Amino acid sequence: MAANPIHSYTLVITGAPYSTQAPQTALSFARAAIAAGHTVDRVFLYGDGVHLASSLCAPPSDETHWPTEWSTFLTDNGIPGVACIASALRRGLVNESERKRYELSASNLLKPFIIAGLGEWVEGNMASSRTLYFHAGG
Amino acid sequence: MTDIHTLHILNKTPEHPRSKACRDALRPGDALLLIESAVLALAAQSGPESDVPVYALASDIVARGLGQCAREASLVDFPAMVDLTTRAQNVISW
Amino acid sequence: MGTLMVIDQPPYGIWAGREALDMAFSLAAFDQPVSILFTGAGVNWLRTYQDTREINQKSVEKNLSAAPIFGVEAMYACARACTQYGLGPENMVDGVVLAENSSDLIRQHSHTAFAG
Repeated sequence: MAANPIHSYTLVITGAPYSTQAPQTALSFARAAIAAGHTVDRVFLYGDGVHLASSLCAPPSDETHWPTEWSTFLTDNGIPGVACIASALRRGLVNESERKRYELSASNLLKPFIIAGLGEWVEGNMASSRTLYFHAGG
Repeated sequence: MTDIHTLHILNKTPEHPRSKACRDALRPGDALLLIESAVLALAAQSGPESDVPVYALASDIVARGLGQCAREASLVDFPAMVDLTTRAQNVISW
Repeated sequence: MGTLMVIDQPPYGIWAGREALDMAFSLAAFDQPVSILFTGAGVNWLRTYQDTREINQKSVEKNLSAAPIFGVEAMYACARACTQYGLGPENMVDGVVLAENSSDLIRQHSHTAFAG
């Protein structure tokens, strides 16, 4: 049997941490993909998924801090994490330049996440060999 | 090597409308992977009732106390889930 | 053959449909072939005479009318769901193709995606 080809993934997370299992399933999947020699081109946060990029989550200390876990994973592996700008601004997730533009009291975008448009998702769709979605369950 | 036409990844309970839509969409050559709340189908009396291979994420089964109910599905871990996505031509996340 | 964005959630009470529409419009803006399937409670997007002034939301009927302009290839509606929700030619927006079998439609597209 031929060796499995190397794949590239765009992962789209639409479920929020602490209200869905989506960010944790996605993280376990991403870790396994990297370990198997595949690449994760980018992680795109959409809808409620943008809450994963908040630097202001403060879960109880005996619970996993999913934004931090994701932030560390993305940084360690040099994977771009992108929060959809339309989803983010509506839900109160802003970087420094959006804070200035809308004259808001604070910014809260966790590093290394960036804020960008849906074009990032379209590009991922085109460039990656697989696009996987991690939605809210139910 | 894509020996699976479409891999259907389902994370909804059996009652969820999307679970039914997912079941309706299964065709010979496809595979079904149950994750998160979807593994509860293995505890339901009707079971996952499917003509295609059914896989289920072991960590989600164990977490829900369903280790004894999992006979109708092949249990997979995350490396095996990754492998399934590489074997499929298309992947639908329901 | 392109992406099928599926809207299976109703308008106004939940935001997922709007976000699916935005995804479809983005694909179209980048010249990627995309169609939309309304199914389940999602077919309620397609009813005419939606008047949303009292709930202070933009009418999705207006959003939808932009689909052909953006270059969305086709809008399909699950025939069974339309029957279930009392939708017919007399109370449905124009330009929607009834799909007798949504599963076949999914089969015909290389990508099928939900917004949430």
